[in-house]
Amino acid sequence: MPALFFLIPLIGVITLNLPFRKLMKKTAFWFAAVLFIFQIVLVSSHRTSFWGTGLVQGSFFNVNFYVDHLTLIMLFSISIVSLASLLVARAMISDENKRFNFINLLITAAIGMNGIVMVKDIFSLYVFLEVAAVSAFIMITINKDKPALEGAFKYILLSAIATIMMLSSIGLLLLIAGDTSFGAISAAISSSPQSMLVKLAMAIFLCGLFIKGGLIPFHGWLPDAYSAAAAPASVLLAGIVTKVSGIYTLIRIVTSLFGFTPAVSKVLLLIGAASIVIGAFAALGQKDLKRMLAYSSISQVGYIIIGFGTGSVLGVTGAVFHLFNHAIFKSLLFVNAAAVEKEAGTVDMDRLGGLSQTMPITGTTSAIAFLSTSGIPPLAGFWSKVIIIIALWQAGYIAYAAVAVLTSVLTAAYLITMQRKAFFGNIAPGLERTKEAPLAICVASIILAAVTVGVGVFFPFVFNNFIMPVKEILIK
Amino acid sequence: MILLSAIFVPVIGSFILPVIGKISERARNGLALCFVLVSLVGSSLLIPSVLAGNAVTFSRALPVGFNMVFTADSLAVFMAICSSLVGAVIVLFSFGYISHYENRNEYYLMVVLFLGAMMGIIFSANLICMFLFWEITAIASWRLIGFFRGKNDVLKADKAFLVTVFGALVMLLGFVLIAQQAGSFDLSVIKETFKASPVPDIAVLLILIGILTKSATLPFHTWLPDAGVAPSPVTALLHAAVLVKIGVYVFARLFIVTFTFSQMWHVIVPWIAASSALVSAGAALIDTDLKRIIAYSTVSQIAFIFLGLAIGGPLGVAGAMLYILMHGIAKGGLFLCAGIIEQNTHTKDITKMGGLVATMPVTAVAFLFCAFSVMGIPPFGGFFSKYMVMSSVFTSGQMALALTFLVGAFLTILYMFRLFNMIFMGDAQGAPAKEGSRVMVVSVAILGALSLLGGLYIIYPSNYVQIAVKQMLGM
Repeated sequence: MPALFFLIPLIGVITLNLPFRKLMKKTAFWFAAVLFIFQIVLVSSHRTSFWGTGLVQGSFFNVNFYVDHLTLIMLFSISIVSLASLLVARAMISDENKRFNFINLLITAAIGMNGIVMVKDIFSLYVFLEVAAVSAFIMITINKDKPALEGAFKYILLSAIATIMMLSSIGLLLLIAGDTSFGAISAAISSSPQSMLVKLAMAIFLCGLFIKGGLIPFHGWLPDAYSAAAAPASVLLAGIVTKVSGIYTLIRIVTSLFGFTPAVSKVLLLIGAASIVIGAFAALGQKDLKRMLAYSSISQVGYIIIGFGTGSVLGVTGAVFHLFNHAIFKSLLFVNAAAVEKEAGTVDMDRLGGLSQTMPITGTTSAIAFLSTSGIPPLAGFWSKVIIIIALWQAGYIAYAAVAVLTSVLTAAYLITMQRKAFFGNIAPGLERTKEAPLAICVASIILAAVTVGVGVFFPFVFNNFIMPVKEILIK
Repeated sequence: MILLSAIFVPVIGSFILPVIGKISERARNGLALCFVLVSLVGSSLLIPSVLAGNAVTFSRALPVGFNMVFTADSLAVFMAICSSLVGAVIVLFSFGYISHYENRNEYYLMVVLFLGAMMGIIFSANLICMFLFWEITAIASWRLIGFFRGKNDVLKADKAFLVTVFGALVMLLGFVLIAQQAGSFDLSVIKETFKASPVPDIAVLLILIGILTKSATLPFHTWLPDAGVAPSPVTALLHAAVLVKIGVYVFARLFIVTFTFSQMWHVIVPWIAASSALVSAGAALIDTDLKRIIAYSTVSQIAFIFLGLAIGGPLGVAGAMLYILMHGIAKGGLFLCAGIIEQNTHTKDITKMGGLVATMPVTAVAFLFCAFSVMGIPPFGGFFSKYMVMSSVFTSGQMALALTFLVGAFLTILYMFRLFNMIFMGDAQGAPAKEGSRVMVVSVAILGALSLLGGLYIIYPSNYVQIAVKQMLGM
């Protein structure tokens, strides 16, 4: 049954592009909206008759689809962020043809991401990664303006390098294991852990994933791509695409293939800590709202990696929890940025000010997102951060724990600067006439803010039922 | 049940206030006061059971070893009554003060949420739970300090937020360290673990940084005078009733009730307090901004509370607890008086005031009563608490420390008289200011009267405090 998440959108995209394009243009939005809502409902309802008990395998063209609790969380995040991006696209892209194209690409990207989180075979994983990435390239440049083309070009170049690295690593692994399924490769790696070839394959693959996830020092493409992308594309890209193709894949590959060797742990902790600190300092100096959010993204992804690097149950669940929370609050911040871009006509923070007064919904939801990102209780971001910190401490990485805690102050500092310059305070000259963002954007931001607050307040329920079961990925 | 309603009625109730406010201003104001009164009445109802030595506890397990525990013991109930009493008067005062500014809905939301979170901190018996409410107060104070939305206001709000959040995060590290050794964030478990030995010094240092930032003690005190840009009831709330007392309370809760620290801190903390008392008293003596002077005075008085707690011994702790009550009432009164003065003279510069006793007699008398209490003049409430703290220092034998604080107490008298003289005595300057609105005058009169009555009927709070101290120190 999980194959439906792949088949329904695929058939949908094909149908949308069949002869009746005029009619389809009108229905495309609603088709996509229903599709994503369907996915949200199906995933969150936890119906065992659909998923079977625990793990379910469905077969489709020899691609094995495989659903566990980590996959469920990812499917949920994918659908909710895609829905937000869709709503923003409805408000921001006025040209009907462009919007139609965008929606098609959005569904294709969702197919790719759904595939990534469900496959259990390293080559299929690669194929779906490319599906998601190629759709993202085009979505960034949907408005065909120069900075967006430049940003997308950087992204393509670095992504191509990542692809080559991953593909060569897959080749090596195929050579070693004789098969591309996770089980076979994992068995082959554990039977010869000292082999140089295995180590090389692992190193190359991890580097590829670090590029995809935009981690320091492989982050060069990320700020340009995020800040220049069309608003709905930046929501999708920052919220979920890089998280799925970089971070989720990293978590999956390390847990099911490589295992936590001391070297892997050390690399992850180091890269995570570097990303946290450098991302935060870089964000501190930004004037462009979207650029600041892009650097903040690097910093927050660092938290996920550093938590994951501990390899303990608490660390891994905390990392997955932060991955989910980050998908929600970072998309929310980008939705707010889209609202500001639409109404105030600029995202330069020196020219903004006091927008809370004319845009109360945007102002309030962005304050919620800011507090969640800085890890202020009782919002969702606090719980995941505190779990990561406790996990680091318990695993004996006290210095890393201290770095994680103290950088939270920097996070609060750059986001509060953003709040002060854009939302809090007296209204800036020239912006008195701004009004609340269009309904679609408001709906998107309210949904995301509600999830952030809800997950934070009902943390025990969410954590026990959805996040804690993720620890099964650590048991092979 | 009473315990939970004392915490969660204001916390959850605060979020419906803006909705009510859209319909009716009066209903919202009344409801806001009701929510705070629920806390006050709720905590008062707990008095008989805690005096009998039965702590009221509510606990619920959460995942990953967190649990939600609320305990009402004698210290917590005392603190809750102090905060909600002053808080209720401040909300009453706000009816008059805030009525002609914008963003009133947000104001009442944040004030009530703030007081509710304060109740949460007081009753939490779990470090994570405590941290959670601790940070909610940071959010609320951020919005409240920036209430007027001017560029400077928002900057100062950001400063207060960042300083306190920095402290809180450092404190969180200390919490994690302690929980790591005890195996739980639950205070009762931690108490058992550290029964025989003091907690590690590094944890004490980390937690102390958090406490000092929140209680605005040297060297983290600068945000407090700056926060004077907030509306006067907010400064009263921050400086007198709630925010700065959080740090003092958590100090008492952790370092006195739950575990002990090594001997060295019994010297270090009083000296930090001493320098804080002197520096801020000096600053209060030369500043000319009405609210900044009172804010510096808060920093200076908080030092006395820390002194009493850190010296230890039944007399010092009892004195510090009474000090929390008396200072809360008196300082709340001073700030609310400052609010009336500021609103009617349209300035905060005391050199431009004078002779106001003629036009605002009630405010002047209330101000004087509260000032007497802060100075520690008998028979006002502040005298007894200051006397107990000072005598505990003398009996502990640290003469240099005692003399430093005597100088601090003397400076208090000096700057309070200067303040009163500049504002109310002498010749009137500029247009004669009129008395504040009725509800505002009534509020300050209540606090002024309480300052006096607190001294005349000192027997009731002091009896309670003595029983509480016996329970706290396990005697």
